[in-house]
Amino acid sequence: MKNVKVLKSVLVSNKERAAENRKFFDRIGAFVVNVIASPGAGKTSFIGSVVARLPKDYRVLVIEGDIRGQIDSERLAQLGIDVVQINTETACHLDAFMIAQVLPQINGPYDLILVENVGNLVCPAEFEIGEDHKLAVLSTTEGDDKPYKYPLLFHLAKVVVINKTDLLPHIDFDLKKARAGILQENPCALIYPVSSKTGDGYEAVIAHLVKELDASKKTHTS
Amino acid sequence: MHEYSVTKELVELCNREAKQNDIKDIQRVRITVGRFTGFSPEAIQFYFEYLCPGTRCENAKLIFSETPIKLLCRDCAQTSEIEQPVMVCPLCGGTNIEITSGREFYIESIEGE
Repeated sequence: MKNVKVLKSVLVSNKERAAENRKFFDRIGAFVVNVIASPGAGKTSFIGSVVARLPKDYRVLVIEGDIRGQIDSERLAQLGIDVVQINTETACHLDAFMIAQVLPQINGPYDLILVENVGNLVCPAEFEIGEDHKLAVLSTTEGDDKPYKYPLLFHLAKVVVINKTDLLPHIDFDLKKARAGILQENPCALIYPVSSKTGDGYEAVIAHLVKELDASKKTHTS
Repeated sequence: MHEYSVTKELVELCNREAKQNDIKDIQRVRITVGRFTGFSPEAIQFYFEYLCPGTRCENAKLIFSETPIKLLCRDCAQTSEIEQPVMVCPLCGGTNIEITSGREFYIESIEGE
């Protein structure tokens, strides 16, 4: 009977694949944001709103992750956005291997790649895909206790967009409590309350993205 | 929820390691699962049994060890062990923390012939 010490992380292969994806993104000069949220929180609307407002000289690609169908891809393509679709068929999150499979379809260069992950507050946080950072979208209709309930995502997300602020007069969502909850998980999180419906709050989001994109360009060209 | 994908990776890693070490029939797999992963051992067991037939893991028994959640607080420089994943230092109340234990998911060893 052989007893072999392995001491290898099961998810290391995803980490390694994510690092390879990162090299590809660096080669084409892209800044990559992994957009994670519950179904219906407003990931697609957020992406559409960002691209509509970002200065036109920034080239944007969306990698769209869904279990099935092309609904979100078609919606974004109609806005003139370049999109690549991934259908996971069963998986509730995107992983580095799924991203790797669509990289050959990407005809760079792109300045910004927004990855719309499968709607889920749990699993996508666990799987790196080669992104620069994670961005969580939390909508006011989901409740202000979600940062407390879903610690990993809110610990890892550099940016948290709180969407559907236009509904605040009609629901019991305490913005102060949600902010405090987010900062408890990540004291450095950047929090942007927005309404994709009215456009409110997007100036700050765009200013942040432009800052990140310009800093990223400097790193790629130096 | 995502135990299926991680268990698939687990089975693939077991089979690769067994092949590399010339083990044709794995009897035991010792794995460590950190509390912060939220992975359910029952779900991993379920998917393991589903994914093993026809592979070197077919007869393998999974033996689980758990690692606790530990936080290093950068404010007071102390490490604490906590039960629930709440990102606040239980000693000083600081929130400038790093998880130093609890996110592990690795194969400790495999045993077989």
